[in-house]
Amino acid sequence: MSEIVIQTRNLSKEFVRDEFHVVALKDVDIDIHKGEFVALMGPSGSGKSTLLHLIAAMDRPTGGEIRVLGEDLRSLSDRSIARWRNEHIGFVFQSFNLIPVLTALENVELPLKLTNLKKKERLKHAETALKLVGLGERLNHMPRQLSGGQEQRVAIARAIVTDPDLILADEPTGNLDAASAQEVLTLLSRLNKEFGKTIVMVTHDPHAARFATKVRYLEKGSLLPEGQAPADWVLPAAGGA
Amino acid sequence: MFRYVSLITKNALRNRRRSILTICSIAASLCLLSLLLAIYNALYLSDTPPAQARRLVTRNKISLTVPMPVYYRDRIRQVPGVVAVGVNQWFGGIYKDERDPNNFFARFAVDPDALLTIQSEYRIPEDQKEAFLRDRTGCLVGAALAKRLGFKLGDKVLLRGDIFPGDYEFTIRAIYEADEGDDVMFFHINYLYESLPVGRRDFAGTFTILIDDPDSATSIAKAIDSLFENATVQTRTETERQFALSFIAFLGNVKMFLFSISAALTFTILLVSANTMAMSVRERIREVGVLKTLGFTSRAIMGIIVAEAAFIGVAGGIVGCIFASLLCAALRQAPAYLQIVSGLRLESYVIAVSLLIAALIGVVSSFVPAWSASRTKIVEALKFSG
Repeated sequence: MSEIVIQTRNLSKEFVRDEFHVVALKDVDIDIHKGEFVALMGPSGSGKSTLLHLIAAMDRPTGGEIRVLGEDLRSLSDRSIARWRNEHIGFVFQSFNLIPVLTALENVELPLKLTNLKKKERLKHAETALKLVGLGERLNHMPRQLSGGQEQRVAIARAIVTDPDLILADEPTGNLDAASAQEVLTLLSRLNKEFGKTIVMVTHDPHAARFATKVRYLEKGSLLPEGQAPADWVLPAAGGA
Repeated sequence: MFRYVSLITKNALRNRRRSILTICSIAASLCLLSLLLAIYNALYLSDTPPAQARRLVTRNKISLTVPMPVYYRDRIRQVPGVVAVGVNQWFGGIYKDERDPNNFFARFAVDPDALLTIQSEYRIPEDQKEAFLRDRTGCLVGAALAKRLGFKLGDKVLLRGDIFPGDYEFTIRAIYEADEGDDVMFFHINYLYESLPVGRRDFAGTFTILIDDPDSATSIAKAIDSLFENATVQTRTETERQFALSFIAFLGNVKMFLFSISAALTFTILLVSANTMAMSVRERIREVGVLKTLGFTSRAIMGIIVAEAAFIGVAGGIVGCIFASLLCAALRQAPAYLQIVSGLRLESYVIAVSLLIAALIGVVSSFVPAWSASRTKIVEALKFSG
C-alpha cells in the first residue's frame, strides 16, 4: 500500500450559525493514499465541502486530528499554513473563481508570485500549465472571453502550476454543461493517472464520481464505511470512466 | 510587493468609472490643497531673492496711510549700513476707464536715482535709464505692464489723480524687465510735489532702503526706528518681505486660515476615498478568499489593498498637482495688486508633500477595510456574494 497523504481521526467541525449549533462533521476517520482519486459524495449539508476545506487547511477543525502530507495542520500558524497551502495544495472551485481583471496567463501565474521564481520563469511555468490543459492558444484571454469549461480548465492550470502534491476540487463540474464537465473530468483523471497526482473531489454527480478510483459517502456529517452509500443513493462504479 | 504591481494597478482600475471619478475628486481636492501649500510656501517659506534681502521699508508706525516727513530720508541715510534711501509714494489715480480692471496697475512716485540703485534687479537699457532720469515727467514701466496695455517708448500716459487731484501726463521713457513685479509704473516724485500746494509737499509714504548686508537687516531696522523714537511721527522699519506680508495680514490670521482649509480638504478627501475603498473591497471579499486559498497571507492581501488605494490617491495627486501648477502659472499673471502671488510656484517639495498626502489619504482610507478583509476567514470569504 502506498503512503497515506491524508489521515483524519475523530475529525469534527462544529459551528454556531445565528442561534443554531451546527455539527458539520462528526468523528470522521479517513485515510487517503498517495495517487488515489477519491470522490466525496453525499447530499447537501452532509459535510463534503467542510471536509475538503479542512484538508486544504482553509478552515480549522473543532476536534480530532488531521494530518495532510505528514503535517499536523492544527499546529501550524496562519502564516505557515498559507505557505504550506501554496506549496502543496491545488484547489479547484465550483465557480472557477478566476480574477476577472487578469488574463488566463496572469491568473495561472498568480500562485507562483509567492515563490522565488523570476517573472520569466513564472510565465513559462504558467504557459506550460495552460498548454497542459489545452489552452495554449488562450493565454491572453480575459476570463469573460472564455467559456465555462475553459474557465475551469484555467482554474485547473492555476491549481497545478505549483506542481502540488494534492489537488482538491469542490464540485468542479457543478457549473458546467455535460460536454465541458466531461473535458474537466477527463483532465483531472489524466492528472491522476499520468502525473500521479492525488485528487480529492467533492461532487453530487454520480457520473463525475465514476472518474474517481474510490468513492466515499458522507451523511449528516459522518463518513459512511467504505463501499457503503446512503440508502437512496445509486452507487457509481468507481474508476469506471 | 513589487511583484504584485500589475495586480495592484489592474485591481485599482477594475471599475474604471468609479476609479476615474475617485481620482478626479482627489485631484480636485489635491489641486486646491497644493495651491494652498504653494501660497503658504510663497508667503512664509520661500527664499528671499538676494536683491530683496538687502531692502528694508520704513513706514509710519501708526499706519501705512499716514505719511512721514520727507526729511527722514536724510537722517536714515546716516545710519551705518544704509547704502541708499528712496521715497516711495503710492499715487493711486485712474487710467482711462476705472471700471475696466485691466486698466488698473500700481503707480508709485519715487526718487528716480534711488530707485535705479535700490531696484538693482531691474534690467533697463542705459539710454532709457538716462532718458527717464532726465525727463521730470518721464515714467518707467514694467515690461509686463507695457505688453498688457500696449505701451511703447515715447507714449503719453494720462492719469487722473484721486488721492492727489488733477490730471498728470507722463511720457514713457524706459521699460524695465524683472523676474517678478514687472507690471508697475514709477515716476518722479518731484513732478508730484510740484503739482501740490506748498503745504502738502515734502511727505513720503514709505522709504525704501538698500543696506549693505542682509544679515544686519534687523539691527539696521532697529537703528532706523530708534532715530525717530521720540519724534512726533514714529516709524516702523521691516524687511521688504515682511512689509509685503503685512498686506496679507490685513486679511486676518492667514496661516490659521490656510491650515484650516487644508485640514478640512484633507478630511473630505479622506471620506471620499474611504467610501470608495470600502465599496471596492466589499465587492472583492470572495477574491480575498481565493487569494488566501492560493497561499497569499493576510499581510500580503492587506498590502495589496492598501497599495491599490495609495495608487489611486497618488494618481489623483499627480493630476491635482498638474492643475495646481497651471493655476499657479495663471495666478502669476495676476495684476499688480496681487503682487504677493507673483512668485507663486509649485516647488518640487510642495509637489512631494502633496503626493505624500495623497498617498497617505489612500493608505489611511483603505486601512480599515483592508484589515477587515485580510482577516476574513477563507470559508466565510468564499461564501460572500457581495
